[in-house]
Amino acid sequence: MLIYPLTDSQKLLLDLIKQIGEEYIKPYALEWDEKEIYDEKPIKALAHADLFGIIIPEEYGGLGWGSFEMCLAVEYLSYYCAGVSTTYAASFLGCYPILLFGNKEQKAKYLPFIATGEKLCAFALTEPQAGSDAFAIKTTAKKEGDYYILNGMKQWITNGGIADIYIVIAMTDPAKGARGASAFIVEKDDPGFSIGKKEKKLGLRASVTTELFFDDCKIPRDRLLAKEGMGFIVALKTLDYARCGAGAQALGIAQAAMEVALKHATSRVQFGQPIYNFQAVSHTFAEMAMKIEASRALVYNVAKYIDSGAKDFSGASSMAKCLATDTAMWVTERAIQMMGGYGYMRDYPVQKYFRDAKCLQIYEGTNEIQKNVIARELLKYYK
Amino acid sequence: MEKIIVCIKGVPKPGTVKVDPETHTLKRESMELILNPNDRPALEMAIRLKEKYRAEITIISMGPPNIIPLLKQAYALGIDQMILLSDRAFAGADTLATSYVLARAIEKLSPFSIVLMGLKSIDGETAQVPSETAGLLGLPSLINIKELKKEDDKWIAIRENEYGEEEIEVESSLLASVSPQAFDYLRPPSLKRLIEVKEKEPLIWTASDIQAEPEKLGLKGSPTQVVDVFEKKLEMKGTILEGEPQELVEKFIEVLKEKEIIKI
Amino acid sequence: MIEKIKLEDLKKENILAFGEIYQGKLHPSSLEILTPLKEIAEKLDKSLILVCLADSLESIHDLESLKKSLADEVWFIFHSKLRDFKDDLYARVFIEIIKSTNPYGVFFPATLIGVSIAPRIAGVLNLGLCAHVNALEIENNQIIMARPTYGENIIAKLTSKTIPVMATISIGAFSPKTSEKTPVFKEVIFPENFSWESALKVRSFRSSKKKPSRLSTAKVVVAGGRGLKNKENFQKLFELAEILKAEVGATRPVCYEGWVEEERMIGVSGVTVKPKVYIGFGISGALQHTAGMENSEFIIGINTDKEAPLIKMANLAFITDAPKFLDLIIKRLKNLLKS
Repeated sequence: MLIYPLTDSQKLLLDLIKQIGEEYIKPYALEWDEKEIYDEKPIKALAHADLFGIIIPEEYGGLGWGSFEMCLAVEYLSYYCAGVSTTYAASFLGCYPILLFGNKEQKAKYLPFIATGEKLCAFALTEPQAGSDAFAIKTTAKKEGDYYILNGMKQWITNGGIADIYIVIAMTDPAKGARGASAFIVEKDDPGFSIGKKEKKLGLRASVTTELFFDDCKIPRDRLLAKEGMGFIVALKTLDYARCGAGAQALGIAQAAMEVALKHATSRVQFGQPIYNFQAVSHTFAEMAMKIEASRALVYNVAKYIDSGAKDFSGASSMAKCLATDTAMWVTERAIQMMGGYGYMRDYPVQKYFRDAKCLQIYEGTNEIQKNVIARELLKYYK
Repeated sequence: MEKIIVCIKGVPKPGTVKVDPETHTLKRESMELILNPNDRPALEMAIRLKEKYRAEITIISMGPPNIIPLLKQAYALGIDQMILLSDRAFAGADTLATSYVLARAIEKLSPFSIVLMGLKSIDGETAQVPSETAGLLGLPSLINIKELKKEDDKWIAIRENEYGEEEIEVESSLLASVSPQAFDYLRPPSLKRLIEVKEKEPLIWTASDIQAEPEKLGLKGSPTQVVDVFEKKLEMKGTILEGEPQELVEKFIEVLKEKEIIKI
Repeated sequence: MIEKIKLEDLKKENILAFGEIYQGKLHPSSLEILTPLKEIAEKLDKSLILVCLADSLESIHDLESLKKSLADEVWFIFHSKLRDFKDDLYARVFIEIIKSTNPYGVFFPATLIGVSIAPRIAGVLNLGLCAHVNALEIENNQIIMARPTYGENIIAKLTSKTIPVMATISIGAFSPKTSEKTPVFKEVIFPENFSWESALKVRSFRSSKKKPSRLSTAKVVVAGGRGLKNKENFQKLFELAEILKAEVGATRPVCYEGWVEEERMIGVSGVTVKPKVYIGFGISGALQHTAGMENSEFIIGINTDKEAPLIKMANLAFITDAPKFLDLIIKRLKNLLKS
């Protein structure tokens, strides 16, 4: 219900996303979900529309905008299909390490292709034994002359197989623990690098999630990002930046769910009147609206805070991610309930929003980990 | 550098057309104009040719100034130059008078490699303008092509008709209308170009700019005329049944049996 | 052996119709359009002439249908360069004939080929051309052509200020008729200096990969419009069609929305259907659509709007929610057929 003032360019961005959503996503979203298909057409459309370049500096062919615009794009794309917006947002997640830590040569080599959407990115940190406990990764990267040899595997990597550029966090010095990891740029055709099976998921089924295997994967040493030992710093800083994107996804899903349920509630007649007339129902929508607006305000304020040049925003971005994604889960569950039987049927989209929303509470750092971060940051401010 | 010309048209958005019940004319104020959807494959073809052969694309469109936003949309897809053909004298044109204006504009843009158009507009749906324009220009024409590429100095097109597909070779410039099914992916506008085109305006050509003979324009130049319009009166012919779906299903099945569509 | 006649000796000021011959086969719509044209010709006291272009008499498969057609004469133009359809050459041949014989009217079926050459001819000769006409009549010795216009239930009557009057005629708008009297076949000899060259060269031909639409000849048609609300509901028509051994049709708006491919569009510029039974779900019946199905034997309409044109023209109408009705019918039929 709140209208946020937008610049002309931001309005153009929104209109374009809506155009793309209506034409390339809306007619197919339920089918992709039902058949668990990844369709490259909406991604091609986003690429042609210059939308992969939102956060890439102009000198590399991007638009040179910031987190605010990225969140706008992600929120509205998620309104149409969170599976598609996951492919899109995950590519940003994978490109942040190069943006934040790449040297001039690395930026010049990769960013132009990322800006045009010709090459998608993926971010590979998680392993079977290392989820929330990211420090438990076991993939190794051994320096041999002018190369690094990577061995190990990554699990549940979004855009596995469809990305060309993979940011892989691997241990260069296991003895040093948290200070022993490094971040590398692995390309799809690198020898010894292979893609595992595509996972079958509860939601976000239009997006691709796979395992990655490194079998003596040999990469030139100029693929190292920043310095050896900085792997987890690269990872954590990247996640800090990308978190409000996950929050924005949650907003799109929640908004879509609320709207569909609301339309139903105002036309579904029971006991001689629309069910919206019953306070149990209308109050639920009132709560949905409040929670969504509150989450939206937080997500975009954090985005603006990041864009203003803030250096220390881990706590803020964790709050945005955690609040918005918890809101989306609550709203989508209530949306199903407000639609009754119709909410449960797969002919209607509300059940998809519910299944899509669940993943958002888990990936990019579970909401439990987010609360750890928030709690830790709290101590910095209020001792 | 090849020059490609694409002719586009603004049409009322389906569903927004309202007919004045008294005059039987279109209520133009209530209509939302969109780029003729069948023109998008033509634009897509032009842009893919531009990417492949280093060409320059000019779009022309005959219409009032309120179609300028549509020209800008086409610019955002990737075309280089926008030209609006606008003049009071053009109004009321049938396909011949329209083709005449387009032909004169295309001549003014000579030399060019090819002219592309959509197969038909979704309002008039005559599909006549491409061939008529080609006839006026003396250019070879191909209707409903799906593919176009260059081989040495020749254009090779795949044209689809009711019988199948033909591969056709053309040595000279060509005018072609593009099949709506030519591509299973049509690109959206580019955000950068949408921002860029805000500062740009199309060239506007009037009747005198294209040296058009006045008697060939607008209503005067349109041999086909509407002499009458009438509403098709519909009287109730049959039986009407009202009710909830589950109440009516049996009757429906009964009729299917009666007509021997199902045998139970 | 057929009579050879020089171009300049052909009968003048008559009604000409295009006999579309492609790879030796005559397109059925060329015979359909003779039905209204014969009446027009008789009222104007003129002859009806079918003009066919081909490489040779031997290459034509359907001489029998030509012999039974309503035409008074059939003029053949044979040349090896006419074997393949080339827009510019075919148009020039017609232009020569028009210039020589000064016909009163020249008509084409609205096939892709008809729509390729008719406008080209009209452009070169500066003639008016009416499109997708589905009715023709004579008023005050003038040919009046009718077609549905964009929008609601409005039919526009058109004339052309120029002679010859030209129009393309909607496919399926008329049924072909046969005549007891065989037309006179004539082979037209063109002047020596006529150039048979074309800027187009057909390198190869590949027969249609997709099966020709059976929609136009279907005995039972189930069609859907916007009243079905979304693509998922529309797709259920295919289930129903399978059970009833029917073909699926659609209105223009739903094709535009992407619910189904345009080949299934029934209407003025789509397919004309004449089934035994036509069942329209959630279709209001804009003229664009009804023009393509009004000759169905038995029309069933399902709509929530009692005033909808399709409901008014239906033999049997169900005023109820179309998507739910479709669902229930499918379930009921599946149950019945199981037992």
